Amino acid sequence: MKTTALIAAALLAGAVPALAAEDPIAVRQTLMESMGGAAGLTAGVLKGEIDYSPAIGKAAITATAGVAEAYADYFPEGSDTGGNTEASPKIWEDPAGFAEQISKLQAATAGAVSASGKSGPADAEAFKAAMQPVLATCKSCHETYRLDD
Amino acid sequence: MLLLRIAVGLGLLGVIAAVAGWFASAPRGLSAAEIAALPEGDAARGEAVFWAGGCASCHAAPDAKGDDKLSLGGGRVLASDFGDFVAPNISMDREDGIGSWSEADFANAMLRGVSPEGEHFYPSFPYTSFTRMNHGDIADLWAFWQTLPAVEGKAPGHRLAFPFNIRRGIGLWKLAFLSDAPVIAIDTSDPKLVRGRYLVEGPGHCGECHTSRDIAGGLDYGLWLAGAPNPDGRGRIPNITGGEGGIGSWSESDIAYYLESGFTPDFDSVGGSMVAVQENMAKLESWDRESIAAYLKAVPAHATAP
Repeated sequence: MKTTALIAAALLAGAVPALAAEDPIAVRQTLMESMGGAAGLTAGVLKGEIDYSPAIGKAAITATAGVAEAYADYFPEGSDTGGNTEASPKIWEDPAGFAEQISKLQAATAGAVSASGKSGPADAEAFKAAMQPVLATCKSCHETYRLDD
Repeated sequence: MLLLRIAVGLGLLGVIAAVAGWFASAPRGLSAAEIAALPEGDAARGEAVFWAGGCASCHAAPDAKGDDKLSLGGGRVLASDFGDFVAPNISMDREDGIGSWSEADFANAMLRGVSPEGEHFYPSFPYTSFTRMNHGDIADLWAFWQTLPAVEGKAPGHRLAFPFNIRRGIGLWKLAFLSDAPVIAIDTSDPKLVRGRYLVEGPGHCGECHTSRDIAGGLDYGLWLAGAPNPDGRGRIPNITGGEGGIGSWSESDIAYYLESGFTPDFDSVGGSMVAVQENMAKLESWDRESIAAYLKAVPAHATAP
């Protein structure tokens, strides 16, 4: 059941932006949940709790790539407060620094997509190698651009 | 005549109070016997103490990664209700850092908050937690310190408002708030809990951020680890007890995994100032992370502090 839920969360990523274009905070939060779903799927495989298949690997990788492409579009001026946002004011104070973090994420997901090929990484080791650079970007952005909570 | 005698009497009382306050606030270092008993340190063991203590998180450059975390030139600003505290240079530089200190100087700083000049340090330097450290760890840490680079340049001084800028006043604050007694009673027959309590309440100094403070800046031990406002402004330091708003749903292995990997049970990642702390914790033995987890599951549960 947990596996199914995680895969569903990962697959949602592509469908999100149409849901609530009027509410950037809600959109970016849902996008980040998709990222969390993909990270959860990856951790499950790494810990041996989920049996790996290339389709699972591809689902997780493409989900992160979709989020990475769309994410930066949902931080317009004035969306720094409200909706339980945990976005740090530094996103708007230092847009260049934030953009650099987004570029790092996009480069990592693009690398994972190309490593993934048409049918997904062949085995759990290859999947792990493709996803680790993506997961490493979580902290580096959250350290500065998300509020402590 | 009577009025004069009352006035003289009151004046005398004032003088006595001032004298008593002066003595009460005097900095007190370790005794000569305690200094003499400091063991020979081991630098390799001291490195683990260094990461457990998170020294680099305040004293290295704010964006330091990798080996730059060993350059302890200071400069990071800690905002507070009393003013801005600036982390000093504690590198091995003999002029600008602490390279000219003796082991006894270092032990007095860590365990008693007293400088080699016999002055109080402000408790922004968390000796209020380090005072619970065992003396062997202090000696090991100092041995490791000898391997660290010298960094030139003094950090600016603290920017504090009156009366907080009077160091001697910290002596009275210490009488009220400095104690090496454990915060939480635990089952001391369980070595994991004993180790976890030591790491959290001592070198890890987790309570310094995760526990709210009273108006005088003392930790509210009745709400131990139940979260606190973020001194840097927006956001909050989370409740890490098992109470409402805390981490009651996390298992011991969830906590240990978070400290190792930076991922929460629902695969959110660590953020903010906790990133540096988590990366330090990832350098410890897994037994230490498991011990911290066991202790956090054993502390009294509180709903998130206001």
